[in-house]
Amino acid sequence: MSAALKLEGLTKSFGKTAVIMGVDLEIAKGERHAIIGPNGAGKSTLFNLITGRFPQSSGAVYLHGRNLLGLAPYQINRLGLSRSFQITNIFPRMSVFENVRCALLWSKGYKYSFWHMVGRARDLSEGAEAILEDINLIERRDAPAGMLSYAEQRALEIGITIAGGADVIMLDEPTAGMSHSETEYIVGLIRKVSENKTLVMVEHDMGVVFGLADRISVLVYGEIIATGTPEEVRANPKVQEAYLGTALEAEH
Amino acid sequence: MNSSISEKASLPQRNEFWKLVFPWVLTALFLLFLPVIFASNSALTIMNQMAITIIFALAYNMLLGQGGMLSFGHAVYMGVGGFMCVHVMNYVEINSAPLSLPFLPIFGGLFGLGLATLVGTFSTRSAGTVFAMISLGVGELIAACSLIIVAFFGGEEGVSADRTYMRPFFEIEFFTQIEVYYLTSVWLLISALLMYLFSRTPIGRMANAVRDNPERAEFLGYSARWVRYYSFCASGFFCGIAGALFAINFEILTEENLNLATSGSILLVTFLGGVGVFFGPIIGAVLFTLLQTVLGLYTELWQLYLGALFLATVMFFPQGFAGVLVSHAPAARNGRLGSLFIPYVKMAAPSAVCLWSVAGLAELLFHARHAALGEEEMVYFGINMLSTSVIPWTVFGGLAVISFGICRKVAPSVLEAWDKAITPKGMAQ
Repeated sequence: MSAALKLEGLTKSFGKTAVIMGVDLEIAKGERHAIIGPNGAGKSTLFNLITGRFPQSSGAVYLHGRNLLGLAPYQINRLGLSRSFQITNIFPRMSVFENVRCALLWSKGYKYSFWHMVGRARDLSEGAEAILEDINLIERRDAPAGMLSYAEQRALEIGITIAGGADVIMLDEPTAGMSHSETEYIVGLIRKVSENKTLVMVEHDMGVVFGLADRISVLVYGEIIATGTPEEVRANPKVQEAYLGTALEAEH
Repeated sequence: MNSSISEKASLPQRNEFWKLVFPWVLTALFLLFLPVIFASNSALTIMNQMAITIIFALAYNMLLGQGGMLSFGHAVYMGVGGFMCVHVMNYVEINSAPLSLPFLPIFGGLFGLGLATLVGTFSTRSAGTVFAMISLGVGELIAACSLIIVAFFGGEEGVSADRTYMRPFFEIEFFTQIEVYYLTSVWLLISALLMYLFSRTPIGRMANAVRDNPERAEFLGYSARWVRYYSFCASGFFCGIAGALFAINFEILTEENLNLATSGSILLVTFLGGVGVFFGPIIGAVLFTLLQTVLGLYTELWQLYLGALFLATVMFFPQGFAGVLVSHAPAARNGRLGSLFIPYVKMAAPSAVCLWSVAGLAELLFHARHAALGEEEMVYFGINMLSTSVIPWTVFGGLAVISFGICRKVAPSVLEAWDKAITPKGMAQ
């Protein structure tokens, strides 16, 4: 089976500071993969490299075998890769419904059309309603997105990310800054929406990571020091030494 | 589950349809019968000017309000459309080409669109300061060209044409002002409707999305730059239509139609009316044209008052007049709109006196400094007074101070009434 996402010798330096120092990683189709690591390990930078937000210094990213070098974020998105952001990134002045509908436009084939009326397009409104149903925001349909609570905004962010039907979904710290019950809600949501899709996520909450991920990569100072199933990673002495020890003890 | 959604949707959709169509039918009837009330030629001229400004302001707001692009040189798209139309009119006159006047705005639109497609390729790369600076540069460049390329722009005198030499349109030759009024009104209705519909299309919706958060839009498959580019082109098209209507109405275009003052005033018009609401610029354009033409008849200081109004809008009502109107929607939903009437009157009366007396002071000062030597008498709202005498100064000054004091005293109670009105009934303390 070919990998959904493959990184080859990926590096990134800002000036003389190397942030990502040669990352090789293969993520299979349908896998739920978590990237963990201490603060400043370069997790978000890795995300930004994969999604074309920053250009890489060297190495390559392959999406379903296709090299993404030089493609802009919108082109990468059209190839079937969608991402969420660590800091909530929605359209605050538009309604919740409109947020989701905008996320549907490209994938439903509307492109830059100026001859369709979005209000009359049944596929758009029904699709958006279905996603709102999925993310439990149907009640808040007409509220401006900027007025939602933090957890609701995070849920909306996930809704926007999955709306386009991308088969590779990347979530950057989806549960950051959430209370325990909110985290449970989001985890359930992620499990639901990532079915039959490839999920890559950066996460700090070990409960979330070990509950959701099929495989885990540990990123420390711009290098992946271990990749494997949760059990393998938990047992890996290098990981325990570098990072996990304290967090794991806190878990048990 | 699907069927339940569609059943729910079908009824509101029919309502939605009427909600969409009704205002436009009403507007059409309004425009049809407006000349019955205002029949004089000067009134018709003012209304035509209003219609042109409305189209221009709506087109400008496609960028500013819908797309989040602040243009400082937008007069050139209207101006170039207008100049081209003057040349088209002259061409038709000389070669007796088969074109009648009502179709001229299509040409204006296409020329505006043409210029926008060229300039947009480099100006829409990013929004914000870069876009504003490029628009300023291009605006200034083309305005300066008007004095250099005399063959096209006609130098300081501008270029002129005669609309009546076009092919008659069903025997109408557009000699009279009323004929031009109906031509302008039809185009106003068409353009406004098309611009409204544009805001409901995928590209129009994405213009909002890119305005709010260009980066997020990029991660949804849309290039922020191309979204901006298409909005820019559409705006150029409607600016060109406004330019053509200007050419038809005034039969002359000059450097004034291109310069920065015109570009600046359309920003002012749009902002005054409110950028956040589709119909906002319409209010702004009506208000601005009235101030310019009617107030301009009475006082030389009209620009001062306009500037003060603009300043007050930016500082106290950044959402413009339309924004103020829309903010009353919650009160209306609560059925408490009526409760605001008396507080508003209480506030309006001293405010009016205050404005009246401050304007009086301004007029006194202007008269004292600028009237011909020895001329001391002036008229203000039908009252004769001497600008050199102490009495009017004291009266205006005193009234201004007292009424301002009353305003400040009344303000808290008005705010309280407002808070009460916008709180839903069940939630009142």
